[in-house]
Amino acid sequence: MYRRALTWLLRQTVKLDVYINRIYPSDWNPLYYTGGLAHFFLFLLVLSGILLFFYYVASLDGAYASIRYLSEEVPYGFLLRGLHRYAADGFIVAVLLHLFRNWFTDRYLFARDGPWISGMFLLILGGFVGVNGYQLVWDQRAQAVTEIFVAILGAVPLAGATLVRLFLGSEGISAAMLPRILFLHVGVASFLYVLLWWHYVRLRHPKIWPPATWVLLLLGLLVLLSALPGTRPTAGVPAQPGVRVTAYPLDVFFLLPFWLASYLPPGVVGAGLAGLLLLGYLIPYLKREDESRMGPRHAGVAQVIDGNCTGCELCYYDCPYDAIVMVPSPHPGLTKAAASRKLLAVVIDSRCVECGICVGACPFQALELPRFLEADLMRRIAELVRARAPA
Amino acid sequence: MKVIGFVCDWAVSTEGLVDGRGELKAYPGVHIVRIPCSGFMRPDWLEQSLRAGADGAFVTGCPYGDCLNREGNYLMRDRMEQLARRLQRRRVDPGRVAMFAHGLHDQQAFLAEVGAFLRRLESLPQPAARPVRPAVGAAAGEAAE
Repeated sequence: MYRRALTWLLRQTVKLDVYINRIYPSDWNPLYYTGGLAHFFLFLLVLSGILLFFYYVASLDGAYASIRYLSEEVPYGFLLRGLHRYAADGFIVAVLLHLFRNWFTDRYLFARDGPWISGMFLLILGGFVGVNGYQLVWDQRAQAVTEIFVAILGAVPLAGATLVRLFLGSEGISAAMLPRILFLHVGVASFLYVLLWWHYVRLRHPKIWPPATWVLLLLGLLVLLSALPGTRPTAGVPAQPGVRVTAYPLDVFFLLPFWLASYLPPGVVGAGLAGLLLLGYLIPYLKREDESRMGPRHAGVAQVIDGNCTGCELCYYDCPYDAIVMVPSPHPGLTKAAASRKLLAVVIDSRCVECGICVGACPFQALELPRFLEADLMRRIAELVRARAPA
Repeated sequence: MKVIGFVCDWAVSTEGLVDGRGELKAYPGVHIVRIPCSGFMRPDWLEQSLRAGADGAFVTGCPYGDCLNREGNYLMRDRMEQLARRLQRRRVDPGRVAMFAHGLHDQQAFLAEVGAFLRRLESLPQPAARPVRPAVGAAAGEAAE
């Protein structure tokens, strides 16, 4: 069932590309750059966040006033705040698109689980930072979000009370809270870059930036959204601890779980979220296909034929996953070209995704995919050519 | 007309397009060989296909930007350019090899491009490529061993 559902999703995902590629050249297809788009939004968030930091006052009395001052008194302050708000929405949308696209198109197979696992951490921490951002404003929405989040934390078995105290700095909402949230917002956001290093570490030439056209278009869109009176982030109503918040504007991208919490007990929402995320971590390990039926898709980890390797480094440069390293050659190769080599290519099995790009890169026949041998391919070609008499 | 088409297993689906022997129904004589990635192709294999007696050979990868292995089709495109120069030096018409990029659902576009490729091959002067070393043409399967 899982396999058939995913096959259907794969076909639909790729079909979407067909339509998009009719509008844009395939180099500009935004779905080919979901990761780059997320990174672009994160970059904007960091830039605007640094500027916002100069105006923000992390105290229960000062927070709301400082943000109001920024959006109403500081020249272009509303733009700064709007950019930060809408870039965050763009970030989470791009991240989710990235997740689903890479899931549906099998981009987690074999050694690609490292990017997948780091990506799940990025998703969780990115969502956490986003929710923190809503708390920092300290209006009624912030108050409601804080109360629901504390209720979810408190529902964690055994550790609940401790987690709440760690998060708030005391038993309830107090002056200790906002500086703590500010640190969580900025500190965890910085930690995202550590995770991004993990996310990119085995990718040679990661696509971390979308085409310039998209950068300019999205920048313009964000500026419009944050400047137009209808969509400009509004000041809201200041928080009043002790007063129950009944209604607040919902941000569908970050606060959806919080909307659920008004219908379900917080423990159920928390457990549901945790379950979903756990499933997310399992995705690369749920067997999608019977490995014996994958054919050329599962041709085996590339192997270096020691005697033929000349140490030329071509495979090392072309491997998109940094799965090949060059080591000092322990002994000369067997062929004439390999006799005076200084280096030897070595495939790191745990990084190989079985694509065979190194085989194509090697002009010395020094690499093979064990279940897709060159000799077999050549024999097959000869048979195919001979099968029909020449016209 | 005998043509070998190396098609990435993630690229255009040939389901329904090929017969039991792996030949395109629309263009008999075009044999499809599924490969793990277009970047898996050693350009030399295209030349060997010509030397073995094929009139043409092409590689099909995923649309540029969408390679499952991130760069396979770009790398192959670059290698094809190098191969064209090499073929010219060896007096083989580089028009006999080609690189296409088609996604899973682009079957019609793929067939159209193969058709255009076949028409181009027909317009080229015969014969395709004489074996440089007769032994290679006689049993191309041994060239790799």
